[in-house]
Amino acid sequence: MSNITKFLALDKVATFFNIIKQNGGIRGSLYKLYRQDELKDGTLVGEDKFGNKYFENPRFFYGRNRWVEYSDKYNMNYDGSQVPAEWFGWLHYKTDLPPHLDPSRPKYKWMLDGNENLSGTTGQYTPYSTTRPTVEPWQPKPRSS
Amino acid sequence: MSLVKIFSVTSRVRAASACNIRHAQYSTPTGGKVETVYPQEVPGYKYVNAEDPDMSFKAMTDRAAQTMFWTELIRGFAVTFAHIFKEPATINYPFEKGPLSPRFRGEHALRRYPSGEERCIACKLCEAICPAQAITIEAEERKDGSRRTTRYDIDMTKCIYCGFCQEACPVDAIVEGPNFEFSTETHEELLYNKEKLLSNGDKWESEIASNIKADHLYR
Repeated sequence: MSNITKFLALDKVATFFNIIKQNGGIRGSLYKLYRQDELKDGTLVGEDKFGNKYFENPRFFYGRNRWVEYSDKYNMNYDGSQVPAEWFGWLHYKTDLPPHLDPSRPKYKWMLDGNENLSGTTGQYTPYSTTRPTVEPWQPKPRSS
Repeated sequence: MSLVKIFSVTSRVRAASACNIRHAQYSTPTGGKVETVYPQEVPGYKYVNAEDPDMSFKAMTDRAAQTMFWTELIRGFAVTFAHIFKEPATINYPFEKGPLSPRFRGEHALRRYPSGEERCIACKLCEAICPAQAITIEAEERKDGSRRTTRYDIDMTKCIYCGFCQEACPVDAIVEGPNFEFSTETHEELLYNKEKLLSNGDKWESEIASNIKADHLYR
């Protein structure tokens, strides 16, 4: 029986309907297709503090089997740098452990959130000198007459 | 002498009879007439150059028929059509990302000790070793008597990302973190100062520490 379905590629049809079901029906699937250019099915591995969701499906080949769905609050302004540092390693296949299962990841109180690239916004970095200048420009004394 | 070498075929043929394999690699058609003296069956070797077409009558008519009926064209279309149903080989970047090594050398960061004290002691080894001279350091004694930098500037547009700075650093202060998504719209945003580098370290410490741990056997 399974051989016949395989031969007629009916399992692919089942996968197709399963993908649409997982992505929230026809409307949800169309929205995700518009936003992410792609529809995939997978298991939810975790969610970070910004609301980005991380999925995995080993059916896809290495390099495409892990992906992130950016939080809905970003709408179409998603960016690759919105992945926080904790999830960076998992998403880049450096480790198989998601951060909440990795005990060796340090958590210090001075660590900061938000490594988003803010170039082109009001929050962008502007360089400034961190020392006082070693050479003082000469200021002419105002003439007292 | 060289002319003789170019035009003499006999010496090559003699060499070929002495050593078949070498002749198979270097044989060139000379004078328009194609020599087919290369060995077809030498165990362990495979002839990779274009071979002469079979000139028997059946082979010639087969080739003529394939040209006339455009079978190459149809087979080409079939390959294209089949690739529509294949899984695409491109990764969908901002959602899927490619594999990265723990040794990847990306954006720089200045690290801190677990206590929150900055690691850099202004030894200026990174400044000395930097082949692009992208690092500028000024140091001063801090109020508690420790030696710290007052200026630690990296011109990221000069930097060649060789990683010598992190290899030179005796306290693991300057590291090249895993981040590569720091492109900017203006040049000045890439002139990093000490505060920017320290905040990079604070933001990426989780990943930087994991990378160093993953690579600790090789350091």
